[in-house]
Amino acid sequence: MKKLLIASALVLSVVAPAVAHHSPAAFEAQKTVTLTGVIKEFRWQNPHTWIELYVPNEKGEEVLWAVELTSPTYLVRAGWKSNTLKPGDKVTVVGRPLKSGEPGSAIFTSVTLADGRTLVERAARQGGAK
Amino acid sequence: MFRSVVAGAVAAVLAMASASLAAQVPAEPLSALAPENLAKSRPKAPFDLTGNWFVDTSPGPDAWRFGPPYPKLTAKAQKEFDTGMKLLKEGKVYKDDIGQCWPAGLPLIMTRYWPTAMIQLPTAVYMVSEFMNSFRTIFLDGRQHTDPDVVVRTFNGESIGRWEGDTLVVETRHFRGDHHWMDQGGASIPAGEQLRIVERFRLLPGGKQLEIAYTMTDPEHWEGEWKSTKRFNRVNDTDIKEVVCLPDLNDHLKSTRSKTQVQ
Repeated sequence: MKKLLIASALVLSVVAPAVAHHSPAAFEAQKTVTLTGVIKEFRWQNPHTWIELYVPNEKGEEVLWAVELTSPTYLVRAGWKSNTLKPGDKVTVVGRPLKSGEPGSAIFTSVTLADGRTLVERAARQGGAK
Repeated sequence: MFRSVVAGAVAAVLAMASASLAAQVPAEPLSALAPENLAKSRPKAPFDLTGNWFVDTSPGPDAWRFGPPYPKLTAKAQKEFDTGMKLLKEGKVYKDDIGQCWPAGLPLIMTRYWPTAMIQLPTAVYMVSEFMNSFRTIFLDGRQHTDPDVVVRTFNGESIGRWEGDTLVVETRHFRGDHHWMDQGGASIPAGEQLRIVERFRLLPGGKQLEIAYTMTDPEHWEGEWKSTKRFNRVNDTDIKEVVCLPDLNDHLKSTRSKTQVQ
């Protein structure tokens, strides 16, 4: 049985506070959740993409998790494509869960694919004239 | 003879009533895109905003926010602010209307983490934020603000600009006063129908940075002037795309439907 691991770790990636259409204040700032499961759907769209995957809980029950990512504009610049994740793919996703402790929702940090590659997202552009 | 006199009198009364009604209907201003408006003789604009602009986040992760500091709030706004802060400490988000697909509205639409495309003509500046493709026009053709009894209130309001030396001064009024906020997921300060925003646009030397100094008043929600200055960087490596908060978006984002959301 795959375990759901909840770990405290320093989140190194800076998540832009306003890149999502909703406030990210409901998500943990530093706690992460590691989700190993099977992709149900990967939606490549604006204002931001999302991953749905089935993850077994401690009882072996399949729980559907929704993981929220930034917009395709920034994902492309970090090496993503619309077919990077396909239904049935086994992946490990790291994200930050809701502060409320409700299962099934996290905001993205990284994903490790079956072939061992790990992808992150490029943070929204930061300051400085370009 | 009598009949024709009566008929004439009735016609005269009707004509007067019609003229009176016509006098009450404001004349439509010439469109900002009408060739004869564009062709009118005007002083050359001191600068051209045409380009894509993105808020300068170098001051820090909260650079998109318009406070703190905050002005002294009215009792009504303070109640909302305190409720939002209390819930934030509990890991909840109070009245995140943008997250529920309501428009961000001015001023927040200007500082989303999405570029804003601006196209400047002699008669107007057209703006489209990539975020929800929110649309805004700043009229520069000398028109006045619309009669408040006629105007359709909007989240970005009605903006009229004028040039003062090397500065574009823009006054915006006629905002929607519901589901409209001065912050998101933090300071829950409402934006009301009395909100007025004056923006002073300056293009900094070199043309790569735009500065907008905000002076905002809303006596329903705070006392005096709320001031904040933002900078924006010109970005030349991206074009804005279609971004819409579709009805099924939040159905797949459990966070927007969770008990962390307090409406």
